[in-house]
Amino acid sequence: MKHLNEEELIEHYYSKGTAGAGKHLKTCTECAEAYAALRIDMDEMKFAAPPARDPAYGERVWQSIGPFLPAYHVRNQSWLDIGLWRGLSYAAFALLLVGAFFAGRLSEHKQAGTMAKSTPAPAQERAAPPQQRIVVVVLSDHLDRSERLLVELKHADAGSEETVSPLRDEARSLLAANRICRQNAAKIDDPELAAALDRLDQVLGELANHPGGLNPATITRLQDEMNADGLLFQVRVLRSRIPEQEAAKAAQSKEGEI
Amino acid sequence: MGKNDHEAIQAVLEGDKEAYGALVVRHSQSLFRVAFRITGNEADAEDVVQEAFLRGYQKLESFESRAKFGTWIYRIAVRCALDRIGGHRVDDSSRVAEETDPEQEKLQVADEAAGPDRLLLSGEIGALQDLALRSLTATERAAFVLRHMEDCTSEEIGAALGIPQNAAKQAVFRAVKKLRGRLAPLRVMR
Repeated sequence: MKHLNEEELIEHYYSKGTAGAGKHLKTCTECAEAYAALRIDMDEMKFAAPPARDPAYGERVWQSIGPFLPAYHVRNQSWLDIGLWRGLSYAAFALLLVGAFFAGRLSEHKQAGTMAKSTPAPAQERAAPPQQRIVVVVLSDHLDRSERLLVELKHADAGSEETVSPLRDEARSLLAANRICRQNAAKIDDPELAAALDRLDQVLGELANHPGGLNPATITRLQDEMNADGLLFQVRVLRSRIPEQEAAKAAQSKEGEI
Repeated sequence: MGKNDHEAIQAVLEGDKEAYGALVVRHSQSLFRVAFRITGNEADAEDVVQEAFLRGYQKLESFESRAKFGTWIYRIAVRCALDRIGGHRVDDSSRVAEETDPEQEKLQVADEAAGPDRLLLSGEIGALQDLALRSLTATERAAFVLRHMEDCTSEEIGAALGIPQNAAKQAVFRAVKKLRGRLAPLRVMR
């Protein structure tokens, strides 16, 4: 007699006895015992019940997201038309940076070649310009990282140094990228993006460089301010607005580091 | 009298943004419930609810009128919750080992944690079960939650997680096997 395996028993349990294993279980003691043990285990798997939300919860969710949603007819016109131009602007910006990178490298080679011919080796070493790093910032990546940081900040335990220290480090590394994104937002005339990045800059600045280090009061204040002005949600809206193809294009042209 | 879901969607697509509010109010509770069960965390669940409604709004034009909005937005919430737990670090405070002892299949907890007998006596079985649940992979955990707690079929789980039905079934099997193994110490106390 072929016995039922654990998967078949699990299937039988969840199908509430409608699966074909029922007949076999009536005639096979071994499988019936295995099934009884499984049923006890499964019946005892009772996990924490979701905490109750009051009846106004749905209204609160709407209050928190509603102001950030553009009306549909406006969105159709502006996001399709402006979105196309904006996408092209981002692509042009990325191309410009990549172009600058290659132009820089070409120029370096040329310069090095010329100097090798005209000057002796020690002088060449002194005269060589310091290698410049080209930093390409991909907006979607930046917003993604910023969102993660803000989520961490939102749930951070203000009194714990273990929580606060990584926040400070990440904020420091995001500050430079944020500055580049702000400049770009100003160039492509995107006031919504620019405003959000300005606000983000303030939060990052406080996290990274707060005099005397971050203390619980500062963290709590930042959390309150962030909740009040909906910065996290704004960042989410902006991130989701960037077309996926734009993100893919940007990733392909990513040459440096963020 | 409020609009039904399809009327509300039509109104939103015609430019009445406020009509989406009715949908949010109507479905927030069920989204929070499943989001909490998958993330195991109240704050994360609230974020997931917000993000699901945001994504839903942006994709509303692709919503097919034959479908139920409740099911559609529920699936979006499950994906958001899955993204959330997939990107999270393992919580150090729980100190649950990634793998259990292959021979004993016992839950590995920190030294200072109580043994199974004390856990049972102090009524912490539920907490132990939650820890075991959190030790599953994101897909296994979501699949198990949908099957065990939300009573979804394999087909529904597959659709919600964006995986084939058979893969959804296998994810549930793996989850159950792991949970049974990790909760084996409790069996001794029964």
